[in-house]
Amino acid sequence: MKLLAYLRSLVSTLFHRNHEESELDEELRSHIQRHADDLERSGLPRAEAERRARIAFGGYERVKEECREERAGSRLESLWRDMSFGVRMLYKNPGFTAVAVITLALGIGANAAIFSIVRGVLLRPLTNRDEARLLYLRQSVIGADDVAFSVPEIKDLGTGLKTITELGTLSQLDFTVVGLGEPREISAGVADGNYFDVMGLKPTLGRLLTPNDDGPNAPGAVVLTHRFWTTSLHSDPSVIGKTIRVGSFEGTRSAVIVGVVEPSVPYPVETQLIANIVTSPHHLSATMVQGREHRMTEVFARLAPSATLDSARAELQTVYSGMLTAHPETYKANDHYQLTVTRMHEQINSRANTILWVLFAASGLLFVIACSNVANLFLARVVRREPELCLRAALGASTGVLRRSLLAEALVLCGTGLLAGVLIATPMVTVLGRYAARFSVRAVGLTLDSSMLWIGVALAAIAAVFFAFVPRLPAGDGSRGLGLSSSSARVAGGSRGRQRVFAVTQITASFLLLAGAGALLRTLLVLEKTQPPFETAHVLAVNLPTMTDGRTPEQVRDFYRNVQHRIASVPGVEHVSSGFSVPWRDSRALGIQFSFAIESAPRENGQDDPRARFRSISPGFFETLGLPILQGRDFDDRDRDGAERVVIISQSVAKQLFPGQDPVNRRLRWTDPVMRFIGISYEPRRIIAVVPDMDDEDLIPSAAMTVYQPSDQEWVNCRLFVRTKNDPYALVPAITREVHEIAADQPVERPSTFDDIRSEVMTPDRLNAVVFGGFASLALLISVIGVAGVLAFSVSGRTREFGIRQALGARPNDILADVLREGFIIAAIGVVTGITVGYVCARALAKYITEVQTPGVLPLLASAILILAAALIASAIPAARAARVDAVQALRSE
Amino acid sequence: MTPQADLLPGTLDLLILKAVSLGSPHGYGILLRIQQISGGALLIEQGALYPALFRLVRQGFLKASWGTSDNNRRAKYYELTSAGRKQLREQEDGWNRLVAAMRLVLGARTEEV
Repeated sequence: MKLLAYLRSLVSTLFHRNHEESELDEELRSHIQRHADDLERSGLPRAEAERRARIAFGGYERVKEECREERAGSRLESLWRDMSFGVRMLYKNPGFTAVAVITLALGIGANAAIFSIVRGVLLRPLTNRDEARLLYLRQSVIGADDVAFSVPEIKDLGTGLKTITELGTLSQLDFTVVGLGEPREISAGVADGNYFDVMGLKPTLGRLLTPNDDGPNAPGAVVLTHRFWTTSLHSDPSVIGKTIRVGSFEGTRSAVIVGVVEPSVPYPVETQLIANIVTSPHHLSATMVQGREHRMTEVFARLAPSATLDSARAELQTVYSGMLTAHPETYKANDHYQLTVTRMHEQINSRANTILWVLFAASGLLFVIACSNVANLFLARVVRREPELCLRAALGASTGVLRRSLLAEALVLCGTGLLAGVLIATPMVTVLGRYAARFSVRAVGLTLDSSMLWIGVALAAIAAVFFAFVPRLPAGDGSRGLGLSSSSARVAGGSRGRQRVFAVTQITASFLLLAGAGALLRTLLVLEKTQPPFETAHVLAVNLPTMTDGRTPEQVRDFYRNVQHRIASVPGVEHVSSGFSVPWRDSRALGIQFSFAIESAPRENGQDDPRARFRSISPGFFETLGLPILQGRDFDDRDRDGAERVVIISQSVAKQLFPGQDPVNRRLRWTDPVMRFIGISYEPRRIIAVVPDMDDEDLIPSAAMTVYQPSDQEWVNCRLFVRTKNDPYALVPAITREVHEIAADQPVERPSTFDDIRSEVMTPDRLNAVVFGGFASLALLISVIGVAGVLAFSVSGRTREFGIRQALGARPNDILADVLREGFIIAAIGVVTGITVGYVCARALAKYITEVQTPGVLPLLASAILILAAALIASAIPAARAARVDAVQALRSE
Repeated sequence: MTPQADLLPGTLDLLILKAVSLGSPHGYGILLRIQQISGGALLIEQGALYPALFRLVRQGFLKASWGTSDNNRRAKYYELTSAGRKQLREQEDGWNRLVAAMRLVLGARTEEV
């Protein structure tokens, strides 16, 4: 019954509105008429009777409004009415609407996009089964905090563990693969039979490696990664069962492709295939199996069902300490060997973490700026609409009703902003995803997260409520002389203060973003300005992966000598040489450092041998790069295997170890224990020359202690360096042809000039600067509009003041300066707040993140000047308007 | 003139139901009837009457229809629904109990305690 009555009321409210309205009106009128009739009967004239009846009845419109509210569905209906009113109001102010919607869309869109990335990269669980139980082990020593393990170490660590079900191991190697299309060099992993089980991965096709694939007698087996299979092999299912030849630096083996592993995050390196141990002769060699310091293996572990991360850490630490004590000759006390055990998930995120959270903070700031700006516009509009609001209040609209109509308008605005934000979020995710992919493999192919829509909705709702509740409204009683005619607005007084607060907030946030972007930009500029001390534009680096298949080391060396010889005669080639690593590109090879000692220099007690970068080069390397030889001679044909062993040292080695002496013809020898595993002898070597320092590892050169060996005596070179007269890339076909004439199946890969390699390495820095610079310029633009808006508003409210001042003799310039000063002060307060907030935040963050860099003075100063200048320009327009105020007109308008 | 009493909150609805049950068909009549019965002691703000009537209709205690009044004016007539009659009875009982209790308490003397 009650429900029925409610529904009837609801239906008539929603569908018979006009009818209902006229009935309400009629009912109330008839009440007043009757009362008037009674009063007339008691002797009053009709007119007076009607007047008294109306007075006795009270506020007619207010009663009507109260009646409407008592009807069912009145809230719904009035919200709907308010919204359509809001839409009309916004439609009538296209400028305001456009600025507000665009600002909100940028704020909401950026946040939604960044949230998608953060969620996809940091928060989403890995595909690996039970990923929270997957651990990653690492050790560190003084001077190197990221060291892999050797096979004896893994044996020591992995036996008899209670908190760990199994260890899985993987080591990365470059394989030259023959039998999958063109011969090519690919990045491969060599794994033991437990690896896939520990990682918790399933096959997409075929099978994965099992303990049956372990041991020296198992047949070679290869599992392809999903990415390699889909991108390079076009998801061809017939590759399963195919036999291929895989070659690494100690020989070539055949292997059968047994399966494709499901898509998963490759860590720590991306590999194209994962093979069993028998495919790499090196993994079966004594070097690998017995060399305690031959560390090239990654160790993963799976937590036992009952164990916790802490208990596993404790147990592994105990075992590790036991191992350190058992081999004091390897683990010297002052090297401080340490074991770290982390969850795989956290390990993968470690690099992306800081960057993404910083981005998140940046987009948060952008949102604050956007909201402050729209709040300002909203405030200004409410003040401008004051007469209308006062009128409504006087006619009986309560504060709640007015607030509701503001809320409806804000909702319409934020809803539109949300829609636009979602539209721009999609391309933003694509761009930012590509950016994030540089820090985390998980960002590859990331798309817009549908749950980010809810973030957008939440942000829009917060913003709408904020906008609706910020303006002060005229009081409903209308008693305190709220003039409709007077322009000395009471509302304006309070709002102007709030507007300043928002303007300062915007400036603060933009300053923070700008300072951050400035710091990144400076890093980039320093990088770009720093030129390496050798020729980069005309030197081409080409990878010629070693093909050891059935060839002796001497034959391999002959091949490379032959190649160099033939390419040297190609027209346009100025010089050719070879080496083991391409500057900036081959980071693994470039990282090789060995300890050494010089003869006849007694080692000081307790001091470690110095370490130097190890570089293997052919004769003519320095000439190709345009580096002068400071003293002595270059390597030449005399320096072959079997001849006297010779080296060339860099200037900093000479300076540090032979201060004030002539290093040429002195001797040095390697002392590093690793040497014995990689076939480099400990024999003394004569220094034949000194060359300038050449840092081929870092973009900002530092003093590089480097020792060069001729590749003809030891080691093998697989990188070709060609200096050309003109465009180096034009010679690539000719070079490839020459190589293939000697060996048809020799891969010729990744030809690139040093210049291009350098800019490739710089890309993350450039992207950082571009992304943050983009954020900062958006922020700056929005806040400049904000400051201009605040001042324009303040000027229009002070017309009378300016008029009086002019009447009293103030010059237009005084007024101009006054407004400019106001803008400047807002910006200055913002900048000072920004510096304070930035300082406090940096201090607070420093507790959690070690690598917080405070931007130097220069970026701070530059951002401050930029903001102040922008604020002054923004103030100029309203200031000019203020100065043009005509005294007579301003006073008459009162 | 009789001293006027403030209306206790929530009592307006009850008064309206009672007035309608006594045969006051429209808004103005209800107002007059309440003033008349209470001897002018209960002052009802005219404007407050109509929102209350709308509320009672929404709650299903009153039913409204349009008709022609004695002096040929169109008027909105209210009548009790069965739910309204029940509500009136319950509220009356509640009030009577409250009044009796209040009277007992207020009429108490020291020796009776």
